Amino acid sequence: KPALADETLGGRITASTFVLKQPRCVFDRLHEDAVIWLVVALPEAVANFSDNLEPGGPGREFQKFPQSALAYMTLNTTILNYPCDTNSRDITVLRVGSETRCAKDTSRPTCNGPLPGPGPYQVKFLALNGSEPVAQTEWSDPITLRTAQPSTSIPLMDSGHSAGMIALTAILSILFAILLAGLVAML
Amino acid sequence: MAKSDGGMRILQGLLVFGNVIIGMCGIALTAECIFFVSDPHGLYPLLEATENDDIYAAAWIGIFVGFALFALSILGIVAVIKSNRTLLLVYIILMLITYAFEMASCITAATHRDFLTPNLFLKQMLERYQKSEADNNNDKWMSEGVTKTWDNLMVQNHCCGVQDASDWQKYTSAFRKEYNDADYPWPHNCCVLNDQGSPVNLDGCKLGVPGFYNSHGCYDAISGPMNTHAWGVAWFGFAILCWTFFVLLGTMFYWSRVEY
Repeated sequence: KPALADETLGGRITASTFVLKQPRCVFDRLHEDAVIWLVVALPEAVANFSDNLEPGGPGREFQKFPQSALAYMTLNTTILNYPCDTNSRDITVLRVGSETRCAKDTSRPTCNGPLPGPGPYQVKFLALNGSEPVAQTEWSDPITLRTAQPSTSIPLMDSGHSAGMIALTAILSILFAILLAGLVAML
Repeated sequence: MAKSDGGMRILQGLLVFGNVIIGMCGIALTAECIFFVSDPHGLYPLLEATENDDIYAAAWIGIFVGFALFALSILGIVAVIKSNRTLLLVYIILMLITYAFEMASCITAATHRDFLTPNLFLKQMLERYQKSEADNNNDKWMSEGVTKTWDNLMVQNHCCGVQDASDWQKYTSAFRKEYNDADYPWPHNCCVLNDQGSPVNLDGCKLGVPGFYNSHGCYDAISGPMNTHAWGVAWFGFAILCWTFFVLLGTMFYWSRVEY
């Protein structure tokens, strides 16, 4: 089941991207030519999801997501990029939503563009040999992105006066009053 | 009369001593306030943009009060030694006026310090950093000041945001309007930079890999100098005023005892 990356990553979930763990040691006995795609879908499209639609084809274009295409496929690569190396301590992650340049380019329907809203979204990995689905993972749990609060909502409540300031003001006022009294008594 | 004469001598000695201390403290106050006004940490634009820079006003008053205290302490020494009633009266009245000004400075500094909360700087950073559309020239000037100050702060102190880097994610901002979220989850100055000023690993920074970006907040770097500034003016001034209180009381007593 695809999972979000470690919590130590500060950019794990932002307003338009999220970071997944790479599917290492997940697909075994996969032909080297098979292409592994990441499917990003709205939760309502998960039930009737058809593995046979062509990535980037009608109903699967990133640029039309989520209005007329309820899912899209991106981040295509082969199993060679996901070697199963349990000793490696490299950070093995996939950032979904990092390609901003092709986000509006309809000639790149498999663009890994920024997600258009906070979601939630569900993802899975699908391996295709040609156009035949040969392996896949389960659907992930729904992933909800961050929604930013408006900066005007930050409260600027009148911070109470600190004890130090009150003490300072009180003492100085009393001292000054005594001095004025002394001046009056003197004259 | 010999005994009270001896008493008067002691009082004179004490008053001269008191005035010497006031004079030295006056110089110290002037020096301290000049140091604060010179803004060694470059944080003044942040205060300017809050349209309330009272701690600077307090420091300016402190400069002049310091000089006044020094001058008046000399007058006081001369007046006490000569036992001249007129001079003593002039001294007391001028000192009271200076006292009032210094009181205003201390109270202003202490009160304004309470106004400088993390939320104030957070809101200001979000609304002004990299703001491009300006309402008028003044607004543009303030936004540019805030942007430059924050850029310096982030690079020199290796920090990001006010509380932490996720401030840029939690709230909308003028920065977010200009720069999209996927390419700039936070400003690039939050990344660990190399000697040329570019991020060492931009992808690592965008991912938020610890070590490639600064996640620590800048609030300490802002509030530290400002607190020193405010408390330096307020409490040193308070100490001087307490001492001056006793010297003035003594001078008033001395004045009432001096024969015409």
